[in-house]
Amino acid sequence: MLFSSLLFIFIYLPIVLLIYYIVPMKWRNLFLFIINLVFYGWGEPVYIVLMLFSIALNYFCGLLVHKHLNNKRKAKRVLIICIIANLALLGFFKYYDLFAQTLSLIPGVSIASLSLSLPIGISFYTFQTMSYPIDVYRGDAQATRSFIDFGTFVALFPQLIAGPIVRYKDIADQLKIRIHDVDKFASGIRRFIIGLGKKVLIANNIGMLWGIYSSSAELSLLGSWLGIIAFSMQIYFDFSGYSDMAIGLGRMLGFEFLENFNYPYISKSITEFWRRWHMSLGTWFRDYLYIPLGGNRHGIGRQVFNIFAVWALTGFWHGASWNFLFWGIYYGLFLTIEKLFLLKKLNRAPSAIAHIYSLLVVICGWVLFSVDNVSLAGEYYKAMFGFGSGGLISTTDLYYLKNYAVMLIVGAAACLPVSKKLYNRLSSKVQGVLSPVLITVVLIFSTAYLVDSSYNPFLYFRF
Amino acid sequence: MSKRSNLIQIIIFIAFIATFLVILIALPDKSFSQKENRVLQTNPQFSFSALFGGDYTSHFETYITDQFPMRDTWVVLKAGSETAVGKQENNGIYLCKDGILIEPYTAPQSSKLDSRLGAINSFAMSQEIPVYFALIPSAAELWRDVLPTNAPNDSQKEIIDYTYSLSDCINIDVYTVLENHTSEYIYFHTDHHWTALGAYYGYTAIMDAMGLDYSDLSSYTPKVVSDSFYGTAHSSSGYCWVDPDRLETYVPAGSETVINYASGSAQESKIYDKAFLEVKDKYSYFFGGNTPLIQITTENADAPSLLIIRDSYMDALSPFLLENFSAIHIIDLRYYKLSLAEYITENEIDSALICYSVKNFAKDDNIFLISR
Repeated sequence: MLFSSLLFIFIYLPIVLLIYYIVPMKWRNLFLFIINLVFYGWGEPVYIVLMLFSIALNYFCGLLVHKHLNNKRKAKRVLIICIIANLALLGFFKYYDLFAQTLSLIPGVSIASLSLSLPIGISFYTFQTMSYPIDVYRGDAQATRSFIDFGTFVALFPQLIAGPIVRYKDIADQLKIRIHDVDKFASGIRRFIIGLGKKVLIANNIGMLWGIYSSSAELSLLGSWLGIIAFSMQIYFDFSGYSDMAIGLGRMLGFEFLENFNYPYISKSITEFWRRWHMSLGTWFRDYLYIPLGGNRHGIGRQVFNIFAVWALTGFWHGASWNFLFWGIYYGLFLTIEKLFLLKKLNRAPSAIAHIYSLLVVICGWVLFSVDNVSLAGEYYKAMFGFGSGGLISTTDLYYLKNYAVMLIVGAAACLPVSKKLYNRLSSKVQGVLSPVLITVVLIFSTAYLVDSSYNPFLYFRF
Repeated sequence: MSKRSNLIQIIIFIAFIATFLVILIALPDKSFSQKENRVLQTNPQFSFSALFGGDYTSHFETYITDQFPMRDTWVVLKAGSETAVGKQENNGIYLCKDGILIEPYTAPQSSKLDSRLGAINSFAMSQEIPVYFALIPSAAELWRDVLPTNAPNDSQKEIIDYTYSLSDCINIDVYTVLENHTSEYIYFHTDHHWTALGAYYGYTAIMDAMGLDYSDLSSYTPKVVSDSFYGTAHSSSGYCWVDPDRLETYVPAGSETVINYASGSAQESKIYDKAFLEVKDKYSYFFGGNTPLIQITTENADAPSLLIIRDSYMDALSPFLLENFSAIHIIDLRYYKLSLAEYITENEIDSALICYSVKNFAKDDNIFLISR
């Protein structure tokens, strides 16, 4: 079930909210636990079993690690088994076919693909659950005795499908006690609707432009740039919109999640970009991979290795296709160069240069990300640098430029913090009047677009 | 933000999402959408086998979308807001000059045409009777001047030329005669079909190819049977503010007998079906819409008989043929699944006409049934 669907907004959500606020406080987690499983099992009911297994595995491992905390060796052994089991599940369900197909390219080797459908959100919740035994081992989190609380955390529907990746330690207290009040609920609504608008009104809309160019046989210079800029906006509004909806829904249920995006496209370096883009993933890899590998504490050579290891895996986490690995390595490369010398130069350079550099690197990176066939990606780059089969500009480009000009300008403006700044400058009285109007308008238009369209693809289902 | 404003926002939001839930539960399900011309999903029956097979949840989702209150209004709101942000198309339909709605043409891969040509060629070669072949271009081709500037739209002329060059049938040039009359009302403004007038010009091309005489346009008295026809392009685009079409007939219904197999068995019928003037799908006024087989017997007993293998463009054209043939058999391969060769022998057919719109010819896979 997607947040940006009529089913979720008009059936699931009102029912869940109604019952949630009727049920006494002590039963709310149990209710959430059950309703999370409904949400999760909606697309593939059999995978509820997988979810329950994943919850049980980490729940018991957490308790075992806790039990052996005075015997570090034993605790470590449990932890390693737990991590392997988690990664095995992720690896099997997400990457089996890719490896089978790749190995089958070797002459004489033939491994059948399984064509399993990817359990929704497995990339996200595997990382969430794994953080728990690790944090217990490190003493950063208390092991919980309540299976329901833990299950509620793992399958919590707001962040289940597309993050943010919430770590147990960040939310442990809220699972026991959380505040429900009018201000928090209303801010949750605002956040949800902002996210809904980003996804339905901007991402889906601009995404159609990318849809046109990604399947175009003859790419021109202008067309290829239009296409990839459209994709850059689509993926940002899609993903950050989803995070906004998750954060908003969390607040409606009394939870506070950490932020996941912070205007990434205004970055002045790639290093900064990754501090602003999918922050919960970056934090996860930093805390559970980069720092355990030694981070920057063992000399520059080791650090460069660590950067590449982390970024190759970050890329590969995004999807079961080799282009994601290349995409990760691409970022590893730029981050290393920045670490070595470029960051210092960028800090001294005029900020326009730093902005242009960062945007160009990110936009060019999206080609690797979005075109999963490497030779097609090559064709796309050729077109972007003026060597495409479609020349510099085609009449069709002019048509699409005209049709999407307003949306592209709206999208570009929404990538900047300017509207938020303007809004914050208003007096709270004006805000109080404006806010209900704005949420009504966005809600109405989003509904219209949702009703109209069967065009509601959700990009992060592959991850 | 003041507490009051926050409360108002909560009330707005909850009222908005809950109202639709209540309406959805309270209102009876609609089983058919006139506007979209399709059966709607009604509340699916719950069963565990359906649940674990994945059917239940997907049907339930379709149910929610299909039964959503005021569906049409939302679609129009979206079309309006798209237009407001400068879009010149919505849901694959161009909003053209003078409120004309046109679906652009996208050329298929030539291999797709080749395989279809193989099928009709082998049909033509296996028959002793002459087999005629006509491809009808759509408004996107002949009215391309009204399309939004630079809007993508592939040439249908190229497809016709390519197909004809490889066809073993007797090809009919419908294109040229239509091209000579582009300023006339030859296509509907809100529907993907041609009008009876356009069909008349198509008819003259067919008669020329067959070497038969036809009456001059001035000998017909057109009759407006509806001036409030909104077609398929209107439904799918949501551009509700454009003017409706005029549905006209040129040939009055006469003494011919019409047997229609729409329900699977032979049923006496008419060339025009008044019932369709009351509903959305008014183009089906011609012959009552989709059907596997129509058999028409006219009073011209001496004239030859004709078999037509066709798509829905033929509905507007067929009435003109009444004066030239003794019997006309109209077969739609989407629904007619028996052997054509046998049909031709059994019914002593004198000639066959394969007539498709350019788009459907490449799109409809049932055409492969022709050589069965």
